[in-house]
Amino acid sequence: MKWRKKAKVFFTALVFIIATVVAGCSNKESSSDSGGKVELTFMFSGQPQEQTAYKNVVKKFEEKHPNVKVNVVVTTGDQYATKLKAAIAGRKIPDVFYFNPGELRAYVNSNILLDITKYVESSKDVNLNDIWEKGINKYRFDGEKVGQGSIYGLPKDLGPFALGYNKTMFEKTGIPLPDKDKPYTWEEFIEVCKKLTRDTNGDGKLDQWGTGLNATWTLQAFVWSNGADWIDESKTKVTVDDPKFIEALQFFADMQNKYKVTPSIAEAQTLDTYQRWLRGQLGFFPVGPWDLAAFDKQIKFEYDLIPWPAGSTGKPATWVGSLGIGVSSMTKHPKEAVELALYLSADPEGQKALVDQRVQLPNSVKVAKEWAKDPSIKPENKQEFLDIINDYGRSFPTEFTYNGEWYDEFYRNLQPVLDGKMTAEEYVKKAKPKMQKLLDQAIEQEKQASKK
Amino acid sequence: MEEKITQKSSLYRKEKIYAYIFISAPVIGFVIFTLFPALYSLYGAFTDWNGLGQMNFIGLENFKELFKDEYFYKSMYNTIFMMIGIPIGVVLSLLLALALNRGVPGTNVFRVIYYIPVISSIAAISILWQWAYNGDYGLVNQFLSVFGIKGPNWLQNVHTVKPALIIMAVWKGLGYTMLLYLAALQSVPKTFYEAAKLDGANAFQTFWYITLPMVKPVTFFIVVTSIIGGAQIFTEINVMTPTGGPEFSSASVVWYIWQKAFGNFQLGYASAMAVVLGIFIFIVTYIQFKLNERSTFDMD
Repeated sequence: MKWRKKAKVFFTALVFIIATVVAGCSNKESSSDSGGKVELTFMFSGQPQEQTAYKNVVKKFEEKHPNVKVNVVVTTGDQYATKLKAAIAGRKIPDVFYFNPGELRAYVNSNILLDITKYVESSKDVNLNDIWEKGINKYRFDGEKVGQGSIYGLPKDLGPFALGYNKTMFEKTGIPLPDKDKPYTWEEFIEVCKKLTRDTNGDGKLDQWGTGLNATWTLQAFVWSNGADWIDESKTKVTVDDPKFIEALQFFADMQNKYKVTPSIAEAQTLDTYQRWLRGQLGFFPVGPWDLAAFDKQIKFEYDLIPWPAGSTGKPATWVGSLGIGVSSMTKHPKEAVELALYLSADPEGQKALVDQRVQLPNSVKVAKEWAKDPSIKPENKQEFLDIINDYGRSFPTEFTYNGEWYDEFYRNLQPVLDGKMTAEEYVKKAKPKMQKLLDQAIEQEKQASKK
Repeated sequence: MEEKITQKSSLYRKEKIYAYIFISAPVIGFVIFTLFPALYSLYGAFTDWNGLGQMNFIGLENFKELFKDEYFYKSMYNTIFMMIGIPIGVVLSLLLALALNRGVPGTNVFRVIYYIPVISSIAAISILWQWAYNGDYGLVNQFLSVFGIKGPNWLQNVHTVKPALIIMAVWKGLGYTMLLYLAALQSVPKTFYEAAKLDGANAFQTFWYITLPMVKPVTFFIVVTSIIGGAQIFTEINVMTPTGGPEFSSASVVWYIWQKAFGNFQLGYASAMAVVLGIFIFIVTYIQFKLNERSTFDMD
């Protein structure tokens, strides 16, 4: 039937035309302004108390800048990365958004982040010199190296990863308290841990241990203070087979298997070391500013902060984490967007709200110094956090590379070493070629991306 | 009546147009949200797409790389291993359906209880089970300690992480499968059972020769859709073992795809993996259909 066939062809064509038009239309820029007001989109993720705190900061910003309206988009932590990347792929990048410093290079090379140097330096609201220099440097990139050059983001916060100790346990066991200025050597550290690892109630089972550390977050302190690193200065060669690295990794594993100052594998399986620390069963445990809220509620003993034990370099080392606030390169209102980013990063009142929630330490150098001196805020030696930022804290190796795949590979199969089933030397010899291959791939990918 | 209709009535034509309009909505939706992205991603599999704007054609590079990738094979192994839950689920839900089919008081209550996990958000359930599997105060280990068993840290132990995920997946899907079987059981003509009883069949024979074959279509449907769904398992793994599990032992293929695409800026490679997964599912499903055809019977 001629009519039937024609109808079918017409119908199919119509469907495809509509589909194409609709799909094509959605690519248009949609941040159009309504009624003379500048509209900005701000995308971020955070825990409920952080979300409320940030929304309040945004409200105050809108009050200060009545011609700006901010649309806040919040997601949960696990969905943020996917949603952000989807927004970027669809070319609907939010004007202001959080990003992981490890992704800085990728974003800059693909022209996602705006170079905000001149806006930041000429801002009247916020003084650049008052924000942690190390924090800003994390978001500097000159096309070759991270840490210098133009500014592509502002720190949402800086998270120095300090070492804490259970003061009450030390006093009960009768050991002199650690010196808050002089780090232990590794030998001294093991000696103290051995004294702390004991059976306190005579039932034949150990009730407390020196420590229990998670390699993902604490191996860095040992590797770096021993003079080694995962990659070299040029950030192109994997260096995990450096003898000093092997020494540090082996020492780390030995804490559990040779010196036995940590809960055994079986014990770590039944009760997380974090939980054991909260219950006062560990002598030493890492403390980050984000832990303070939980520690306030759950810790019944007295604790304080000390420098990490130092390896052969004699100096302690640890990492400083951060999350960046970036501005989209496609924003129609760069000046206002940067003002918002600066406000979120450094506005004193906004900072105060977040610090009071005990989720981060202040971004402003001035405010942080006063916060550290305040004896009514626990723990006492908050100065240690500042020392880490100013002195011995470093960025994760992945913040200097295009992606973190090569680094993830190291941790993926590390467990046998930590369980004592493989020596550190055997492991790094196997892992290094795989890691180097992934790093080479990342560098190659970056070259392709910046060719345009 | 021999009447050749040469001109359709206008009412007939109008209704036809309305019909097409109604159909076009989901069809357009399918084209925009499923077909176009699928074709785009198929193209992407042959490029070095990084999700940030770069997309250069590189031919079969991604596929060559994929066949050398040990983690791809590991994730395939994990995915297929976790499909063990499918036969377990089928058997359990059939037993449950048989039990509920007896008409015990409270059948409706049980149906609701078993079906609630099915309609609950998978992410919410994953978070709940993550806490339940917690090594020290999780419900699972607390339950085991009643019998004096010291439960392992389920999600951190290489040997227990996959069984843990399988148990959770079986639990979640039980209600849906059970409901399907319940409906199928109730459609088996009672005359068959009566005839069997007259012939002296015992309970097992009745089940094996009458019940089971009569619900075969449902079994086939469940197995096919479960394999297709199971090959794409993702949310549970991403929520409960965000790093792919201890030594990559719980990473599924889709999880690995997601990691490559959104973690490492390698959407081209991830698309290639998705294409391979799609072909794999298609082949497996095709084989199942062929096998089913050979053993189908008609009862008229």
